[in-house]
Amino acid sequence: MEKNTQEGHLHIITQAVRDISAIFDKMGFSVQAGPELETEFYNFDALGTPEDHPARDMQDTFWIKTKPGEEKKVLRTHTSSVQVRFLESMKDNPKPFKIIVPGKVFRNEATDVTHEAQFFQVESLYMNKNVSMTELKGTLEKFFLEFIGPDAKIRFRPSFFSFVEPGVEVDVWWKDRWLEIFGAGLVHPDVFKSVGIDPKEWKGFAFGGGIDRLIMLRYGIDDIRHLYTGDLRLINQF
Amino acid sequence: MKVSYNWLKSYFDTEIPTAKELEVIFTDHLFEVEDLVKVDNDEVFEGKVLPDRAHYLLCHKGVAREIGVLRDIPMKEITFPDVIAGDDNAKFKVNIQDTDLCRRYIAVEMENITVGDSPKWITDRLDVIGQKSINCLVDLANFVMLDIGQPMHVFDADKIQGDITVGPADDGEKIVLLTGEEVELNSDNLTINDSNGPLAIAGVKGGKRAEVTKETKRIVIESANFYPASIRRTSTRLNLRNDSSKRFENEITPELAMEAMTEIIALISEISPDAKITAVTDVYPNPVSKWTVDVSKDKIEKMLGITLENGQIENIMKKMDCEVSVSNDVITVTPPFNRLDIKIPEDIADEVGRIIGYENIPSILTPELESKTLINKTFFYSEKIKNVLVEQGFSETLLYSLVNKGFYEISYPMASDKSALRENLLKKMSESLVLNGRNADLLAIETVKIFEIGQVFTSNGEETHLAIGVQLTKKKKGLKSEDILKEAILELEKELDIQLPKDISASEHGAIWEINLDEFISKMPSAGDISTLGFKRLPLDKKFEKFSPYPFVTRDIAIFVPSNIERDDVQKIIVDNAGELCIKNYLFDVFEKDGKTSYAYRLIFQSFEKTLTDDEVNVHMENINKKITGKGWEVR
Repeated sequence: MEKNTQEGHLHIITQAVRDISAIFDKMGFSVQAGPELETEFYNFDALGTPEDHPARDMQDTFWIKTKPGEEKKVLRTHTSSVQVRFLESMKDNPKPFKIIVPGKVFRNEATDVTHEAQFFQVESLYMNKNVSMTELKGTLEKFFLEFIGPDAKIRFRPSFFSFVEPGVEVDVWWKDRWLEIFGAGLVHPDVFKSVGIDPKEWKGFAFGGGIDRLIMLRYGIDDIRHLYTGDLRLINQF
Repeated sequence: MKVSYNWLKSYFDTEIPTAKELEVIFTDHLFEVEDLVKVDNDEVFEGKVLPDRAHYLLCHKGVAREIGVLRDIPMKEITFPDVIAGDDNAKFKVNIQDTDLCRRYIAVEMENITVGDSPKWITDRLDVIGQKSINCLVDLANFVMLDIGQPMHVFDADKIQGDITVGPADDGEKIVLLTGEEVELNSDNLTINDSNGPLAIAGVKGGKRAEVTKETKRIVIESANFYPASIRRTSTRLNLRNDSSKRFENEITPELAMEAMTEIIALISEISPDAKITAVTDVYPNPVSKWTVDVSKDKIEKMLGITLENGQIENIMKKMDCEVSVSNDVITVTPPFNRLDIKIPEDIADEVGRIIGYENIPSILTPELESKTLINKTFFYSEKIKNVLVEQGFSETLLYSLVNKGFYEISYPMASDKSALRENLLKKMSESLVLNGRNADLLAIETVKIFEIGQVFTSNGEETHLAIGVQLTKKKKGLKSEDILKEAILELEKELDIQLPKDISASEHGAIWEINLDEFISKMPSAGDISTLGFKRLPLDKKFEKFSPYPFVTRDIAIFVPSNIERDDVQKIIVDNAGELCIKNYLFDVFEKDGKTSYAYRLIFQSFEKTLTDDEVNVHMENINKKITGKGWEVR
C-alpha cells in the first residue's frame, strides 16, 4: 500500500458533471451557473408556474423565511431557473447560444435510499431563430450515445413542464428497461416574454434532469444518501 | 387518475384496442400509465394526468375521446334531454357575491325523491376504481364527475333555510363537514351558505347540516364553476384535497356545468321515476366565449422539424372536436370549450406532435454557431482548483447544504437538522473529518485529506467557498495537520498565481481552512476553454462496493522472514488464513535487519451482519500465527 503518495479523488458527481460537460462542449454547449438560493420569480413565476398553480405540486419546495414585503425565496427546485437568468442577460443583444447548467437542486421531501433533499441536475438551453423538436431529439440521442454507449436508445413521450411547449419526457433504454431521465421541449413563448425577448423572433429548446440516478444505476450505488455525507468509503472508490 | 377499461368501452359501439394495447398507446401519445391492474372483470389504468391536460382529461369521456382520435374510432353519440332553466317556482334564490370566484351556479330543485341504493351497474363502475357507494344520489354525483369531469353536490332541500348565497366565509366561522370533522374557515374560503351559515365549502367539501340521507325527499343539485386558485388555496390550507378540488383547481369550463346537470337528472329520473324537477336556477353572469388560435403549416413544421401533408393539421384538430377554417396559409382553430390547454400555436404543435408520435420524427443536430459562449468563470476556476487539490492527494466531498442553524432559515423544516442553510463549509467538514478519521484503517490512509467547493449562505447572501480539511490519524513526530494544509495552500497559490490568506482553524479533529472564492475568482482572467481542464470520461464498468454499517476491527501483524523469502509468499499465508471476514489487508511497514526482513501487515475485519467480537477475530489471527510459525518464521 502506498504510504506517502495518498491518492486524491474527485467526487463521482463531479466526475459525471465533467463527463457530461465535455460531451456537450463538443456539440458547442458552454457551461453556465446560477444561484442555489433563488427568488420565486426565477424558480417559478417566469417558468410559467405562478402562485396557486397546480404545476407547483410537481415539486416539493424548500421555502425560506422572509420578512414581510421581502421577495419570496426558495432553494431552487431545478436548474431551470438559470435558463431565465441567462435569457435575461441576453435580452439587450440576443444572439444564438447553447448552454448547459450542471448544479445542485433541492426538494423538500422525505428522504430514503432513492430520495434526497439535495441532488444534482443538468439543464440545457439552446436559442436560435429556428429551433425544432428534431434538433432536440438529435442532440439528446447524440449525448446518450456518448454517455451510455452505442446501444443507447431514447424515446420522447408527451408530458408537461410549464416552461416548454410542446413538452416531452425523455426515456432512455438502459440495462433492459426504459428509464425516465429528462424533461424536455421547446421553450414556451411566455418564458421569452417574461425576460423581454421577442418569442416571434427567437425560439429555443430546453431539457433537464437528475444526474444522481444515472450515477447510482451505472455503478450500483444502493443509497443516494451516501453521496452527501463526505464518506470516503464511497468517494475514494471512484 | 384511475380509469376503468369497461367504462371506456361504453363510449363505443365498435371494438377498441385491448387494455394492454391502450397502455402502450396512452404512454406514447397521451400520458404516462403508471399501472394497469385487473379488478374483477375489468382492468384499471393508473394514468398520470398532468396539469396541462387536467382540464379535459380527468374523466372517462375525455380519455375515451383520445382513443377515438388516436385510433380513428367513432364514439357513440350520448345525449340527455335538455334541462330548461326556469326559476319561477324556485324555493331558493341563488346569489353570487363575487362572480370572479364563482363563475356559474346551477341549482336544480327536485321533489318526490327516493334515496335508495344505486343500481348495480353504477356501483360496479365506482367500485373498480375504488369509489365507495354511499347512496344513489351521492353515487350519481360521483359518477357524473368521473364520467365527464364536473364535480357536483346534492343538498337535502328541507335542511336549507332561506336563499343560497355563494361568497367568502366569515373569519373564524366554523363548519361541520360530511365526515363529521369541524373546520374553521376564513374570508379566503369560498362557501355555499343559507341564512344559517355555511352549507358547504365551495368546490371542496359538503357540510353535515344539509346532508342527503335515506329520509331525504327533496333535493337541491349543485353544478357550479369556481375560480381555480381560490379552490386550490382553500383545499391546501384545510388539507382537504380531493377529487372535486383537484378538478376545480386545474380549471374546467363553466360550460360543463349544464352538461353535467342534464346527465345527473336523466340518471335520477331513471332510478327514481317519480322524481320531479320543480325549479332550475342558472346564474351565469358572464358566459365564456370561444377563442381561436391561428397557425400555419409552415410554423408547425418548423417547430416539429418535419414535413406535414396538406390538411394533416386540420384533420388532427378536427378529430379533437375543434372547428377549423383555412384562409390562404392561415389555419384558424376554434377548440371546444373544455380544451383550455389549446391557447397558442405551440399548443397545436404539441397536439400534432404527440398524435403523429415522436417516434416518427427524425433526429438532427443543431447547427454550429458563429461564436461560442464563454463558460462560467466560477465553474472554470473551481474545476481548476479541484485538479490541483486532487493532485495533492485530497478527495472531494459534496456535503449537505441544509444544516440545523444559519442566517437563512427554512419556513417549514421537515427535520431539525435541515432547518437552515449552511453559512460555511467548515462545520459539516469537521463531521466528515471525524467520520473518515474513524475509518482511516479501513480506507488504508494515514491522513484524512478532503476539500469542497460549494455555495454557502451568509448575511451577505450566497457565496462560493472553498474549504480544505486535514486530519492526521496517526501521531507523527514533528508533523501537524496544519502543516499538510499549509502545503496545499502554497501549492494552490503557485498553480493559480494568487495570494491566499492562511488562517487555519485547528482542533483535536484536525485542521480546516475556508475562504470565500468569489473574491479571488473575480480577480482572475476570463475562463479558458474547457478542454484545458483535462476532464476525463467516467469509468465505464466499475461496480460500487457496498460498505457495512457495523464497526470494523484492525489487527496488525509483523512477520520476520529470511531475506530470500518473497513478500508474495508472506501475503499468501495471510490471505489464505484470514477468513472471509478479513475484508482488507495491506503492508504498512518493511525493514531489514540482520539478514532478515520484517513485513508489517494491517488486517481489517468486518461483517455485514453484526459487530464482530475480539474472539471471532482472534481465531483467524491465531490461525495465521500458527501457519507462520509452522514455516519456521517469526511473529514479532
